[in-house]
Parts: sequence; structure tokens; C-alpha cells
Amino acid sequence: MNQFIYGLLLFIVLALPPVSNLLESIMIVHMHMQMPLLIIAGFMMGKYLILRSPRFFDKYNNNGVPGILLFSIIMIYWMIPRTMDEALTMQSVQLFKFISLPFLAGVPLRDSWIKLTSVSKNIVITIFTVMFFAMGLLYTLSPEQLCNNYLIVEQITLGWGFITMAICMVIYLVYKAFVNQEDYE
Amino acid sequence: MKKNRQTLWTGVVVIIFGFVLFYVGTDGFRAYTAETARMYKLVEQKPALPNVTLEDSNGRIYPISEFEDKYLFITFMYTTCGTVCPILEMNMGQVYEKIPQKYIGEDVVFLSISFDIEHDDPEALAQYQEHFYQADGETWRMARIVEEQEMEQLLETLGVIVIPDGKGDFAHNSAFYFVDRDGNLMDIMDYTKINEAADRVVNVLNLEKEE
Repeated sequence: MNQFIYGLLLFIVLALPPVSNLLESIMIVHMHMQMPLLIIAGFMMGKYLILRSPRFFDKYNNNGVPGILLFSIIMIYWMIPRTMDEALTMQSVQLFKFISLPFLAGVPLRDSWIKLTSVSKNIVITIFTVMFFAMGLLYTLSPEQLCNNYLIVEQITLGWGFITMAICMVIYLVYKAFVNQEDYE
Repeated sequence: MKKNRQTLWTGVVVIIFGFVLFYVGTDGFRAYTAETARMYKLVEQKPALPNVTLEDSNGRIYPISEFEDKYLFITFMYTTCGTVCPILEMNMGQVYEKIPQKYIGEDVVFLSISFDIEHDDPEALAQYQEHFYQADGETWRMARIVEEQEMEQLLETLGVIVIPDGKGDFAHNSAFYFVDRDGNLMDIMDYTKINEAADRVVNVLNLEKEE
């Protein structure tokens, strides 16, 4: 219950117009801070929601695959340059951002991640690694300005953000593959 | 087993949802940036060009409606531009060469419009024109718009964004604009895809001749 309140508080703070305006004024903060924070808010609120209706999640997300699929779809959707622009220029898209990231990505992630086998977890991380590298290359190498609301310099910064995160995920995967967890327990 | 089936169905529903979401969000998997989305919208709306007054490299002044009942192939540039414009104009020249001679001037006129109205007087335009041997000043003209207000109206109608940097240079988007005989925008084309643009123009003209 505590976690739900923290999550809700985080969500409300993020939704405050001055906060969202500030975070959205910088491209990389918009994508790599505001959006993940919204997911985290949903992730925290998720625990309570899952405990309240365990039957629903057990029934429709038994093995965690539909949930992680929904999470991935929402993630990819918000990586499209156009959706970032439209979140700034269209109220409806902004509203959809604030609903979809916490409730269609954060909550299902919470429910799904523990249900996934470690092989599926690695597959998910690998897919995201490849995707982040691809997005990083797109944003750093594109000669065109992809978002009307952000400058090319910001776009390149964002691209490097993607590449950095992809590198971190590679390190994690290598670590998982070569280090035997049991040695340290 | 029952649970597995329900989970499977949820997965299917999620995939369908994702498909619909992406379909709607990208105008049917076509527009991944706000810029392309804007272009598709423009091409669907087919706005009419405002009647602006041009001053070309030969110093002639005339309204753009002079080209009525001809197709117009338009680019926007400025002569001191060192980056995109020379490529844009060179590509325009290649499109020009791919159009059968019988159509040139008769059915379609090429027009390079400068948005640097202060600097690009007829003299500057004439000098710039010399770099492009296809630009004869008749079937391919270079011109500026006399009135600033008219120019802004035209840029706005065609979705051309021009931001002066204050040091004499401009940040701007580049494309080929294809306008029909009635002066309505028909298509906005990628200026790097020369063959596609030329095919589009030739197809339209051929179709018309067949009728």
C-alpha cells in the first residue's frame, strides 16, 4: 500500500504542468527521464493493483508474455520521433502518454517480469539492447531533424543516451552469462 | 490449460492493439515523424497556391498565375546557401533532364523560388543560375517573391519552414513541390529521390495526354 502511494505521488508530481513542461523542454530528459519515471510510477502502483485483483492477472497474464508484449509495444511506440512531437503539440497524445506509460507499461511490467523464465528475460533484454542500438544510430546519424520541437544537437544527445543504455545492457548480459551467481551467495 | 488459453488470447489481443496503435499513430505506417505527417496532410488537402508576384533572374515581374494551365515543379532555396540548396538544385536539374523535351516549358515549368528576398535580386539570381546549365531562365526560372508578406503566405501554404539564423543563413526544409494546372499543390516529393520524382511528373503528363 505504501508503494502504491509513493507511485501515485510520483505520478501526480510528474503530471503537474510546470514539472512536465520542464522535463519536456529537453529532448533526452523527455525520453530518458520523464517517460521511465512514468513507467516506474506505474510499476510502483502496480503491486497494489495486482494484489487487489490477482485473479485477473493470473487469468490473462498467466505466463507473463502478454504483459511484457504490451510493455514492449508501449515502449516502442514512444520511441517514434513523431509521438514525442505530438505529445507536445496535441493534448490527446499527451493524455495518452500519461495513461499508457504507467498503466499499460509499468503495471504489466511489474506483473510479468517475475513470471518470466530467465531465458525469456534475457531474450527481452537482448531485443531491447538491439533496439536501443538501432534507435541510437537513428538519432545520432540522421541528417534530418526528426522532431520539429527539438534541435538536431538534442537529437544527437538523445542518440548517445540510447547507445549508452544499450552498452549498459550488454555489460549486464555479459555479466549474467559469465558470472555464476551461486559463487557469491 | 484453460489459463494458458486465456493468456494466449490476451497475447493475440495485445498484438492487435499494438497493430492498431501503430497504424493510427503513423498514418498507416507511413509517417514516423511529425514532419512527414504534416506533409501527408498537406498533400491530402491539396491547398491552392496564393497568387504571389515573382521577380525572376531576367528582372521580369509577373504574378505566379502566369503559369496557370501549366504544371509547376518548385523548389525553395537562397543563393548564398552552401549546404543543401546546391544539391537540391542539382537534383532538380537531373529531374529536368529526365522529363521528355516535348513537355518542358509546354506543360511543365521549373521554378526555383528564393526566400532570401533581401539579397537575391535579379542579378544574384542570374549569377546563381549560371551554375545550373539546364536553367535557361524560361523553362526553368529562378525568382524571388517581391512582397515579404506574400512570400510568407506561400511558405505557410506549402509547409516550408524557414528560420533565419541572423547571419545571412537560413535553416529550412527541402523538397520538390509539384503543383497542378489549376495552381493546387499535388505532391511533395523527396528531393533526394530523383528518379521517383521524375517518374511521378512524367506519369501525370503521360496520363493526361492519353485522355
